[in-house]
Amino acid sequence: MADDFQTKSFLIIDDFADMRSAIKNLLRSLGANHLDQARDGQDAIKQLSSKSFDVVLCDYNLGPGKDGQQVLEEARHRQLIGLDTIFVMITAENAREMVMSAIEYAPDSYLAKPFTKELLKTRLIKLFALKTNLSGVNKALRVEDYGAALQELDRLISAKPKNLSELIKHKTEILLTAKRYDEAKQIIEEILAVREQHWARLELGKILFCQKQYAPAQEVFEHLIALDTNMVAARDWLAKTQAALQRFPEAENTLREAAKLSPRGLTRQRLLGELALNNGHHEEAEQAFGRAVVLAKHSVLNHPSLFAGLAKSKSANGGHADALRVVNEMSRIFADEPETGLYAATTTAIVKQHQSDVAGATRALQEAEQSLLEITETSRSPSLLLEMAKTYGQLGEREKATEIMRQAIANNHDEEESLAEIVQVCQATKLDFDAKSAIQEIQKSVVKTNNEGVRLIKAGQFDAAISLFSGAARDMANNKTVNLNAAKAIVMKMEKLGATTQDITAVRHYIERIQRLAPHDWRLNDVISRLRRIASEAS
Amino acid sequence: MDFSDILASSIHDIKNSLGSILNSLDELIVNPENHIADLHQASLLQHQAQRANSNLIQLLTLYRLGNQQLAVRIAEHNLEDFLDEAIANNLAICEAMDIRLSHVCDPALMGYFDADLIRSLLDSTIGNAHRYARGEIRLSADEEEGYLVIRVEDDGAGFPDSLSGMLEKMTAQPLDAQSSGRTRLGLYFATCIAELHENADKRGRIRLKNGHSLPGGCFELWLP
Repeated sequence: MADDFQTKSFLIIDDFADMRSAIKNLLRSLGANHLDQARDGQDAIKQLSSKSFDVVLCDYNLGPGKDGQQVLEEARHRQLIGLDTIFVMITAENAREMVMSAIEYAPDSYLAKPFTKELLKTRLIKLFALKTNLSGVNKALRVEDYGAALQELDRLISAKPKNLSELIKHKTEILLTAKRYDEAKQIIEEILAVREQHWARLELGKILFCQKQYAPAQEVFEHLIALDTNMVAARDWLAKTQAALQRFPEAENTLREAAKLSPRGLTRQRLLGELALNNGHHEEAEQAFGRAVVLAKHSVLNHPSLFAGLAKSKSANGGHADALRVVNEMSRIFADEPETGLYAATTTAIVKQHQSDVAGATRALQEAEQSLLEITETSRSPSLLLEMAKTYGQLGEREKATEIMRQAIANNHDEEESLAEIVQVCQATKLDFDAKSAIQEIQKSVVKTNNEGVRLIKAGQFDAAISLFSGAARDMANNKTVNLNAAKAIVMKMEKLGATTQDITAVRHYIERIQRLAPHDWRLNDVISRLRRIASEAS
Repeated sequence: MDFSDILASSIHDIKNSLGSILNSLDELIVNPENHIADLHQASLLQHQAQRANSNLIQLLTLYRLGNQQLAVRIAEHNLEDFLDEAIANNLAICEAMDIRLSHVCDPALMGYFDADLIRSLLDSTIGNAHRYARGEIRLSADEEEGYLVIRVEDDGAGFPDSLSGMLEKMTAQPLDAQSSGRTRLGLYFATCIAELHENADKRGRIRLKNGHSLPGGCFELWLP
């Protein structure tokens, strides 16, 4: 046990020199040798990028600049720390609710101040053992091999260890990531049958949401809020559900309540701003985007769209000069990012239109079109396309707006959240385009293609299936599912009839495309490993 | 800003100062190069600072409870692990005061509760037991009558008759002005935290008695 302290490397992050040296002495007395310190969030990120640590002890309050949660967020987001790194968040008693309301990135453990040396020791030894225990699971997770991770986890669970409930919770999280919703749901229902617990009820709601069962999901979240008004995560999920159900004003209200309880969530403020702006609540939007811009200042999630939202809402409230200043600031801060030009141009176009400067708006719109052309097709995110469509819509360019909407729908035909946003944008810009019908039509045609392709494969008509799927992939180059089906059809043909270099190259091409579109898509791993098997047998 | 907000924020400040006093004391006591004349006195200092600290935490928790800002996060925990940590957090002071601190618990026992809240409740209960224990404090956890029962016992003289037993019916009511401050605040806090734990139709509660497995006072926390 003492060896663990000797061999492991530690990073202590605290803005108070006294506290840093106190923790350092504490760890040293436990046998630790490899100790580094960081005095604020920025310093911490610098150290985390240049060196890898086994244990990070981070205070939640780090003075001005990033807070501990933002350090964790950035470290995980940029993969500066891996699954094997232990991240312990040290919190003051009053930060409990604030820290717990952060849902996207959770540390391995929380430690409330003040703590004694013995407590730190006991906690760390437990965490060392847990990481060792999970090393097989994490190894599989690193290569996104969820099947192997779950198998290993099941092996650990069958030994019924002390931390059984933690492991089971972990299992449901992996099942969710792997989109094996039915299994996740079954486990959560078993847990709830033994004992009602809010966290498990919340998981159930999330699973229902992922299964697109929005009405029951909504019921779960509303029930949880009634039981515990402080449960911010339930409100965030309720808002997501309401948006998916295209009840946009209700979603805005829900998020407003959540933001009141926990104003420091960047994503929350951004979503609130977007909903408010689209719902025509401009003052509310300006407030939310204003907060988002401040919160994002030290965050890895900072993005031009936040400034665009702020500028548009300022302009909608009559502050045109202010709005243009925000656009300039955005261009300065994000000078290196490819999407900046487009957001600057679309925002300027909207401001000019509010000012009734038709020529200026047209000029800005042309700049936006130029910026869009400079971004390669597969790098165009759904939100970027929507931004463009929104601008076309607001400037009355109905045909161009419709064309982009169709493209956005085709790229995301099975992603309810993107689709809901498209519908909302159409409503907000009063665009005469029936997005709901267009979505149904495109979904129907994809399903039809899919069914036909599956039928052909079953009948052994591989070439016909492949030509059907690759045709669809040509028409919807940025649609993950369609590209995946094309890849799968070729893989199945090779599994049955043997590999050819040409077919392998074709599959690789689709895989690369999917990797660009969605690097973490859960279905990728299966295709990649099947291709690997085929390629190794062929060589 | 109303007065209770001002109070809460100053309590928070005082708590932070106490935290750094505690840290410095910790270092002072364990550093062999420091020649403190009376180690016992330093430990006493530490004991008092920790008591003040857990008092302030209780006040802050009650403040947030009153403002409906306190959320209870119930999850399943292993009791042995949990008591291990409770002991770790209080071990140094007990050793300095020559009190043996131990626990008795089935390693497989699991329970449902908010670990942060129950931990701070145990810390203050152990801190209280320091004052009465002669040489031993014992923690234990069991399952009884469908409840999880966590006990903190000492080998002192036990609770006075005015407290022992009568707390069975005690519910979380504001303090009555005549009662002696410290103990009553602690019990009020404990009752509030216990009652925040609910399951089906059952609610958590506390009970005081004497002579369970040690001859002195026994604080019982019953969680459904």
